[in-house]
Amino acid sequence: MDQSSTSALLQGAVRDLATGVASALASGGHDPVGGDTTVTVGTGSHTLAAVRVLGADLLLPHVLFGTPVDPDTAALFRKAVDAYPPRADAAPTVVWSHWAMARTLRRLDPGPLAGESGAEPDAGWLHDAPWQVLTHQLAVLAPLALPDEDHAVARAARRRPVDVARGFVRAVRRRDWVQAAGAGRWLTLLDGVPDTLGLEAGLVFTELMGGGDPRVALQVGAARRVRAGALV
Amino acid sequence: MTDPRLVHTVGVRAMEWLWDHRDGFRLEPDVDPEVGFLERFKPIGELASICRVLFREGVAGSRQAELARRLLDHAWRETLDGGRMLVRGQRTEPVSPIPFEVYLPFKELGYSQPEVERAALLNHRLDSWNFLEVRPTRLLGLSAFQRRFGLTPRTPEAEALNATWLAHTPEPWTADGHIGYDITHAVFHLTDWGEHPDGLPEHIADYLATWLPVWIDDWLDLRRWDLLGELLVVDACLPRPTLDQRAWEGFAAAQQPDGAMPAVGAIPEGEPDAVFDIVYHPTLVAAFASVLGTSRALTELAHSPA
Repeated sequence: MDQSSTSALLQGAVRDLATGVASALASGGHDPVGGDTTVTVGTGSHTLAAVRVLGADLLLPHVLFGTPVDPDTAALFRKAVDAYPPRADAAPTVVWSHWAMARTLRRLDPGPLAGESGAEPDAGWLHDAPWQVLTHQLAVLAPLALPDEDHAVARAARRRPVDVARGFVRAVRRRDWVQAAGAGRWLTLLDGVPDTLGLEAGLVFTELMGGGDPRVALQVGAARRVRAGALV
Repeated sequence: MTDPRLVHTVGVRAMEWLWDHRDGFRLEPDVDPEVGFLERFKPIGELASICRVLFREGVAGSRQAELARRLLDHAWRETLDGGRMLVRGQRTEPVSPIPFEVYLPFKELGYSQPEVERAALLNHRLDSWNFLEVRPTRLLGLSAFQRRFGLTPRTPEAEALNATWLAHTPEPWTADGHIGYDITHAVFHLTDWGEHPDGLPEHIADYLATWLPVWIDDWLDLRRWDLLGELLVVDACLPRPTLDQRAWEGFAAAQQPDGAMPAVGAIPEGEPDAVFDIVYHPTLVAAFASVLGTSRALTELAHSPA
């Protein structure tokens, strides 16, 4: 099998997982604990890699609604964390998304993790990043955008709400709906976002234009839950 | 902040191109009435407005200032035939505001044509002239021009402003190219083409300071040089201009060796007059942005610690 078809299969598997998470978020409704927050995880050959790509958001409904994770999903998630440790030269977003998965696991399914100290990675690369880069990196790390979280990436975002808002506008204008939705999720958590941004309408617009992509639907759904003050 | 020399050089080269291509500022007295004799006046009014900015800011070098003066004289004496073409245009379309709009910057620079002034005074009294159905930013401009001429605007500027897009500080992610020009023109009229930056209401200045960097970033990457140039003018009209280095470097790099600035992408090929009609505006805008940007950069330098 050539590389492009492998990549297409992986992307397909990521979309399948994202569809499940988006649907679970949407079905939380007014009674989140009673809602169906179980994400159906397949057993295809690319599933493990897809779990790593989607990252901590796979378990987002359980984090937000406080529902238990079924053992199979927990085992798969744990396996993905163990199977793809960041290399020494990994990009900061890779290191942080791995850290986010390990942290989610500790929260929902405590147990030993190989080589995990739980120590927070460095976020210095975000401090002086131009607003375009800052927003792009935050959107990649959207699984870290959760209420009442305090870590270096969240602090970097909180310091620069106007810059993240600018990045949201940039992403919308460039029709990068995945980035717009991820940035929008961060913005729902930040104080000091300019009112003139029109964030709520902007998220609806992002969903309308890009919601056919389940990764967009997932992030917009997450933003809505975060804004509504879902349980943590 | 961008090196003031880079900003300045863009304007010097633009003025050289405008001088070399001064015959492109031409009228077509025998044009098809469906097109309209007044259609070709707009570039001349824009030329006068921008040369006026150049004299006012006082940052042009001697060569640039001399070219601007000679261009104005050429436009007034040759193209407008000492203002008589404005009279002819007004007689062709009596309630058109175009002759008045073109005349005002010339009058402010010391040129005079009494019959155009008499027509302006009459038109100011006419409901027809004052309720012409034009875009809100143009209505704002007409009110500002009436004030500059010494008349009380029939539509108060605050009321005219309220009909513009910018006055309502809308969702910044909705701005498209047409809205982009509505934004820039509202700012030009509110500040009298950069002369009075404090003419921007505070909430509009705040709004622009927040979102202008995004629009500049975007239209730079889209190589929309004409609109980018106008946005760089807007930046120079703000209380704290950014004189964004990446944008200015991209803008300067788009300028051709002969000083021409493409409107979008690259310089088009074709008949000289056709190319002029596409290129004159972004090149004028480049001169405008350069003068205001240089002026603001020098002000910043004067106020920064040695």
